Amino acid sequence: MVSRANFFRKVGFGLKAGDDIPSDPVDWAQAQVDVAPDMVWDAPIPTDAEMQDNYAKFVVTDRIVLREKYKGDRDGYEAAKDKLRYETGEKYYENLELCIRHNTALKSGAPVFERLWMFWCNHFAIIDKDFLPQFSTGPYHREIIRQHMTGRFVDLAKAATTSWAMIHNLDNSESVGPNSEQGKWRKKDGRVATVNENHARELLELHTVSPAAKYTQDDVVALSYIMAGWEHKWSKKREECNPVKFNQKKHQPGTHSVLGIAYKQKGLTSKNKLIDALDDLSENPHTRRFIAFKLCRHFITDEPTDAMIAPIIKAWEDTDGHLPSVHKALIAVIYDHTNKELKFQNPEVWLLQMVNMAEMNWPPQAKDMKYNFKTKPSYLNPQAENIMRELGHNPYRPIQPNGFSDLERDWISPELLIRRLALPQEFSMYMKSQLNVEAIIEKNCSFPDEPLKQMSKMKTQLHRLQYLFPSYWMLKA
Amino acid sequence: MMNRRDFILGSITLTMLGSPLFSARAEQLEKRNLVVVLLRGGMDGLTAVPPRDPILASHRPDIMVENTLPLNADFDLNPRLQEFYKCWKEGKASICHATNIPYTMRSHFEGQDVMESGGRTPFALSTGWLGRGIHAANLDGLAISLPMPLLLRSPTSVDNYYPTYLDAPSLNMMQSVHASYPADSLLAQTMEKVISRPVSMMKSTSSRDAHDLARTASRMLAKPDGPRVAVFDIEGFDTHASQGGDEGEHADKLADYDLILSRLKQGMGDAFDNTLIVTLTEFGRKLDQNGGNGTEHGYGTAVLLAGGLVKGGMVHADWPGLQKKHLFEGQDLNATMDARSIYCSAMATCFQVDFEQLKRDVFWNEPLVDLTDQLFV
Repeated sequence: MVSRANFFRKVGFGLKAGDDIPSDPVDWAQAQVDVAPDMVWDAPIPTDAEMQDNYAKFVVTDRIVLREKYKGDRDGYEAAKDKLRYETGEKYYENLELCIRHNTALKSGAPVFERLWMFWCNHFAIIDKDFLPQFSTGPYHREIIRQHMTGRFVDLAKAATTSWAMIHNLDNSESVGPNSEQGKWRKKDGRVATVNENHARELLELHTVSPAAKYTQDDVVALSYIMAGWEHKWSKKREECNPVKFNQKKHQPGTHSVLGIAYKQKGLTSKNKLIDALDDLSENPHTRRFIAFKLCRHFITDEPTDAMIAPIIKAWEDTDGHLPSVHKALIAVIYDHTNKELKFQNPEVWLLQMVNMAEMNWPPQAKDMKYNFKTKPSYLNPQAENIMRELGHNPYRPIQPNGFSDLERDWISPELLIRRLALPQEFSMYMKSQLNVEAIIEKNCSFPDEPLKQMSKMKTQLHRLQYLFPSYWMLKA
Repeated sequence: MMNRRDFILGSITLTMLGSPLFSARAEQLEKRNLVVVLLRGGMDGLTAVPPRDPILASHRPDIMVENTLPLNADFDLNPRLQEFYKCWKEGKASICHATNIPYTMRSHFEGQDVMESGGRTPFALSTGWLGRGIHAANLDGLAISLPMPLLLRSPTSVDNYYPTYLDAPSLNMMQSVHASYPADSLLAQTMEKVISRPVSMMKSTSSRDAHDLARTASRMLAKPDGPRVAVFDIEGFDTHASQGGDEGEHADKLADYDLILSRLKQGMGDAFDNTLIVTLTEFGRKLDQNGGNGTEHGYGTAVLLAGGLVKGGMVHADWPGLQKKHLFEGQDLNATMDARSIYCSAMATCFQVDFEQLKRDVFWNEPLVDLTDQLFV
């Protein structure tokens, strides 16, 4: 019988040499998606609210206090700013957060949930903009995305859409309804009052129905009107770092239609319009089709077929978008297509698979980081961030709101391949013990004969590492 | 304002290319370089090259560019394009205005896909127009970026360069790993590129600011046997908020382009005279400023042309005007020229291949206009 060992890499980070092989792999994987495991970190993890305070402290102190205090004293300003950077986390927190992410991925006991978490973080991507990667994106992944993966899609979509990180990321605070109260004052002053279409467009194109729904520019403008007023206010005390609230004074009054459905105010404010629109967008058949397709493309193949996505769409329909049910249907489809389809592993997943299977001491732990927001940590601190940047895959810094690609051809270039070739040697220093390469191959590769044969020619442990991980057998699952 | 037919009438110089138009092999050709600078996010032609039209200020009271540099009676230049302006004065820079790729749907991801693929339908092609052009001309290119931009992808694998501090394994090891990849797969082809690299490209280094990357590229392009095509990628033109005027974010991004231009010019020496540097973006931006001192996704924009192969000092435009009735969908500067005509002509000039052949091999014989004589030396 040909094994389906690739499955453990397809849905997770592979098995270690000493791990028991689950007797029912589908059960094993499906049992991991009902609850969100706690983050695994041997120190307190800052909350989103705490990091938002740090964001506020950083921008207010830098923009207002220090510039005033050190007027004309460039060196004094730079020194004070450097201190501010490690006291607020601007310089070192992103790396700490990355280690928390990777530690949790490897040690939560639910690697399948962690892979799905990475998928959804990338689906509702926050781009590399302003100080979002330094303060906000990690906490958003933990508190918004992760906490909503055990309920319905619509609730995840609502939470992500109205989160501070997303509102800031896609400029919705800049939107002013032309006929809103504030829009009218502005026009009286001779100022411009228009909506910012950015968030509405991405909500349609990337987060819900996708261009397959054939929405028009009028739909985008109407949804921008519906979203106008969802903002974080600016204040002298905290600059942009105030919680997201709905501000009726910036909202475009009236009824607006998106994809043929009219949205009007119910009750005292128009806050309901976006919530109602998200209900309908989440229920739109194009949304479930788009997301089923994206899930298959992420986990199974660059070119999913209708047959693959059908059971996932059905689970969505049967359970009204209950994500654990959708994920369980996906897992069954992944298992069915293991060995029939090989999926190229993106750099972050591939790195974590190598670390897990080869049992490397990675990422750095809380005790190694020695970062407490008070004193400057060692130069070794930003290791994780450096590595992810080298691989072109820092999860807090996607360049565009469509996140990182799921397509093989987007992850292959001579330079990207050089990183995969070079990394095993770089990481050999984290090896805990002798590599049991035969066991790793047998437990994680459906077709072990050829890699085992090649392994027998490699004389040193370093050579085995250098060969195995950039080889076809490990780049693909 | 200039006449709508200016592009056709005002800029013609009736010289013909003196050399035979067909090239067989790279070694037999004069070395001409083509550099494409991708301006991702939607570069605003009205900020880069503002027309002298009072309508512009009435739509953009808070984000007007001040201290502009004069180009001609109709257009000014953004003051952050200093090096470009120097080239302009030396007769080595021109502009095509009111142009764009044939894409009007205002989505970045679709727009960037078709600006690179050169087609009309988003996500329908897995190769780029430049990659197909290089392939048709039997030349080679180099992307200065970590991933491979779609623009350069072709039926065969293309090279890229991006410094790393990591050390690659031995040649033997790379050959063993290569043997695990299916023959002719993208992985195998890409590995062959890595294996055949000169040692200088495999040296680990940590610097990769635009400054150094442009210098590296200029050195490679200046070499007689080096690559002839390079692609730079600049992100961040999507200024929905705080676009600003001279000092705003859009101007900062233009300054990034200008820095690349300046390093290339400095680093290439005489080879700059045999070089063409063109910009490419997915769309321009709406005429109106929005509530946050930014602009929304639009349509028509400008293409910046620099280098010794450019016929300098001209703004080529079949200018549609900024009155509402002339705007695309009542909102944007219209595009009166398919920008692919510029790119096809640029490739014909640099690759020394007949325009009609490239039009057929790269752009499916779409009705593009041969602009090689108007735009290029």
